[in-house]
Amino acid sequence: MPKTRSANPNTRLYILAGFLFFWFLAICIRLVWVQVVDYAFFSKQALKQQQRSIEVSPVRGYIYDRNGNQLAGSMAVDSVFAVPSEIPDTHSTAGILARILRADATEIENRLNASHAFAWVARKVDNQTSSRIRALNLKGIYFQKESKRFYPKHELAAQVLGYVGLDDEGLGGIEREYESRLKGKPGTMLISMDAKRRWFGRVEKNPDLGENVVLTIDEKIQYIAERELEQAMHDTQAEAGTIIVQNPHTGEVLALANRPTFDPNVFRIPNVQALKNRAVSDVYEPGSTFKVVTLAAAIEEKLTNPDEVIDCQMGSIIVNGLRIHDHHPYGGLTVAQILQHSSDVGAIKIALRLGEERFDRYIRAFGFGSQTGIELPGETRGLTRPVSRWSKVSIGAISMGQEIGVSPVQLISMISTIANDGVYVPSRIVMGTTAPRSTAQLVAFHPMEGKRVISPMTAAQMKHMMENVVLNGTGKSAILNGYSTAGKTGTAQKTDPATGRYSKSHYIASFSGFAPVNNPAVTVLVVLDSPVGLHEGGQVAAPVFSRVAQQVLAYLNVTHDVDLQDPRWLLLRAKVKPEDVAEGAAEQIITIAEAGPPGQPEAPAAPPTSDARLMAAAYKQTAASQAPAPQPAETAGTVAPVAPVRANGTVVLDVAGGVVVPDFTGKPLRAALEEAQALGIELEVSGSGVARSQSPAAGSKIPHGGHVSVRFGR
Amino acid sequence: MAKQVGIDKWMFASTLVLVALGVVMVFSASAVMAGERFGSPYHFLLRQLGWVLAGLAAMAVIMNIDYRRWKHPGIVFTLLGITTLLLVAVFFLDRSHNTHRWVKLGAMSFQPSELAKPALILFLAFFLENRTRMIDDWRHTLLPAVIPAALFAILIVKQPDLGTAIVCLGITAAIFYIAGVRLRYFAYAAIPLIPALYILLFHVGWRRDRMLAFLNPWADPQGKGFHIIQSLIAVGTGGLTGIGLMEGKQKLFYLPEPHTDFIYAVASEELGLIGAIIIVALFSIFAWRGFRTALRTRDTFGRYLATGITTMIVLQAFFNISVVLALLPTKGITLPFISYGGTSVFVMLASVGVLLNITQQTE
Repeated sequence: MPKTRSANPNTRLYILAGFLFFWFLAICIRLVWVQVVDYAFFSKQALKQQQRSIEVSPVRGYIYDRNGNQLAGSMAVDSVFAVPSEIPDTHSTAGILARILRADATEIENRLNASHAFAWVARKVDNQTSSRIRALNLKGIYFQKESKRFYPKHELAAQVLGYVGLDDEGLGGIEREYESRLKGKPGTMLISMDAKRRWFGRVEKNPDLGENVVLTIDEKIQYIAERELEQAMHDTQAEAGTIIVQNPHTGEVLALANRPTFDPNVFRIPNVQALKNRAVSDVYEPGSTFKVVTLAAAIEEKLTNPDEVIDCQMGSIIVNGLRIHDHHPYGGLTVAQILQHSSDVGAIKIALRLGEERFDRYIRAFGFGSQTGIELPGETRGLTRPVSRWSKVSIGAISMGQEIGVSPVQLISMISTIANDGVYVPSRIVMGTTAPRSTAQLVAFHPMEGKRVISPMTAAQMKHMMENVVLNGTGKSAILNGYSTAGKTGTAQKTDPATGRYSKSHYIASFSGFAPVNNPAVTVLVVLDSPVGLHEGGQVAAPVFSRVAQQVLAYLNVTHDVDLQDPRWLLLRAKVKPEDVAEGAAEQIITIAEAGPPGQPEAPAAPPTSDARLMAAAYKQTAASQAPAPQPAETAGTVAPVAPVRANGTVVLDVAGGVVVPDFTGKPLRAALEEAQALGIELEVSGSGVARSQSPAAGSKIPHGGHVSVRFGR
Repeated sequence: MAKQVGIDKWMFASTLVLVALGVVMVFSASAVMAGERFGSPYHFLLRQLGWVLAGLAAMAVIMNIDYRRWKHPGIVFTLLGITTLLLVAVFFLDRSHNTHRWVKLGAMSFQPSELAKPALILFLAFFLENRTRMIDDWRHTLLPAVIPAALFAILIVKQPDLGTAIVCLGITAAIFYIAGVRLRYFAYAAIPLIPALYILLFHVGWRRDRMLAFLNPWADPQGKGFHIIQSLIAVGTGGLTGIGLMEGKQKLFYLPEPHTDFIYAVASEELGLIGAIIIVALFSIFAWRGFRTALRTRDTFGRYLATGITTMIVLQAFFNISVVLALLPTKGITLPFISYGGTSVFVMLASVGVLLNITQQTE
């Protein structure tokens, strides 16, 4: 023992200290290893177990009208989610939730069992549902505020605004077109988990708000358009309709209404047709409205002037060997009168002066055949064939608005070009965007440069001629009180998809015009698709134009440029006899004339044929009785086959025996009206829904124009 | 012979820094858990702060009391007796956490095993001081000296608290070693201890699981290997500079006992490699100054006392850190000065008070 002591009493202390020192070094090496070398590995492990991020939908930007009125907004609603590991009994919880949510219990249970830490139970539930679930105080059930789109004005401008899907993704209209701006950036909900996979807290990265979009739409004007279109739909029982109101100087669309329509707040939309924005996506034959293009081009090219008298050849013209009939035999008409009476022969003769190439150039200069660039999805370019594919009669057909397909927005752009002294301004519906949470500091989108299509002189002449249409021609019903009015009617037969021929019963009636004539404040287009009964643009669309334009001008405080008339005079004007404004869809029917030179092997296939006189006769009857036009009894169906036509173009109608009253019971109003119209009888309608009873009974005979009372009920 | 010098400033400073760091880390590690369990995030912080202040006061008093005054049979055996009594008493008191570790005195609770360590050191220093010449006499020196150590170890193992028991045996071994006990006696001691340790480690279900988990934690990452992996993930996530004080994620119910046994993992996660090494380095400075004191004391009692106290603190610290870093299998053992635990921090600070008094009286 003295040996140990004497050796060195301190050696063992040094050894002990050395032992601890090496331990210290070992710890340091281990620390570097774990914290530096394996850092990435452990960090990944940590994130994997600690967090799960769930996307939280951002607050979508708002859509405002030009005055800052909210058209589409976002509201905070609850989404229900579960932390399944905290739920004592997923089966019973799923059952309770399913009952409140009216959902499938097994489906909810499967979702609850799929994850320990997180499962959506229901997204964006209404306040009532969420408070009912909240009241239950279920273990493991939580709420996350999410934003849900809502449209405070419901159907107002529905197709313009569009709609969104469950995840607030824009699926139509501005919502889709401006998706990237409106959307914002999604936030994240970080679900942190503890060792037992329990949820214990969450950190949220708040979603970024989307930008707001300000439309050129004026809510008040939109409301006028919606209301008047609704009324027109009711009055005419049309299948569809469109009204556009535009500022002709800026191209800004002030209102754009479509029927049928929908409420974008309702997630399930029953009628796909209602989603279509017909104003930009529908193609229709403009009919005689297109004569404005024909005449404007010819006057601009100094090929004619409004006062030149043109021989309208008593309603018949041969174009490249094909005979085309007018709806009415006219002799000599001035160019202005051609527009006023909507003479087809006159329009064709003027177009022939232009020639195909030059005519086509003007058609395209007026914006047809290309998109207007309006900020809405699904815009059509219309149907304009290149000249190389025109048939021999195409120039004639196009001069009066056939063989060409246009969209309502293209058409109103053309009319606005006339109103804007000949300068074409692209249509636009978006004024600009604003930063999130503000309506100030509008980032305005600069309107595209306009381009001159016709000279101010030509435009002035066109304006004057179009005013004449309203004062003395087919557009009489469009007259405004206190404002000079210009416009043009259009009536086109729809092509029957079943036969590829022009339909006998389905027309597109339109009126487009502007007021006041010298310094137009607005251009308005009214298009009604398949009105029942009266179907002339001058009969059904012009009055709608008048009502819309009158209210809009008053709302915009436009100064009167003509004397205010006694309302009684207007009332008288409003009762324009239908034949006064009948331009006749029949004008649009081209028949292959038997007089055509036989040696023309390459004679192109003419458009679907019929006889002009048939329709002309129909109008006569309509005019006489103020009743729907009688049609041959065998054309009772809505898709009427070609009427029996004699070679000379006259129709034999069996009027002697009167009409056998059909059985209306079980039919909806529209079908009953169409059937009655086809038979030439009048319905006295009461109630709504489907026909329940009628008098006289089915099978009895009544004279043409006779009345049948039908009671409708649900 | 021994002259009055100032207290060892290195030791004093490292102790204060460690204790301060401990208070901060206890708050960081326990705030969320305390908020959830007790409704106040300050629950553990306030208790720890109270004990730390009491401990610092005790240290300040004790470092001014001549350490030789503890060399009195009355004090030594009373302390030994009371400790034994308390260690036995815990078995008849309420169980908490399925263990018998606590004695509750009113609102305060007290861990007698923490008292066992300084009691043992004092006893060994006192008992061996005058037996240096007959240190290898197993009947008169070794056996009587080993009896209290063995008794404490057995009682503490029974609590069960194998970690503290091992620390007690480690302290005993260190003092015996410094006292010059022949190495072959350590071998003799190992003959019964190694089988006992084997049985304790591999035949007690949960300890066996811990051992297997230590050997290959990734075999069962969600089960047996969970604690080790979570500890390593915490340390590893810290990287060089840490993810920031209070920012740690692993303390959120992943780490077992984040404010006690695994507080070093929380510190490593939040303070990074820099913070983690600073903590080890502070303990190393403490060790350096402690052994320096032992070397410079001519007084054998003071020498044994300094060695015992230094070993107690540094051994336990390195042991704890090694467990956190998966260098040693998981043992329930706290990090001195830093881990939450009133008795521990109070007793440790009081012991440092004794050590600081010794530093004042070196050559």
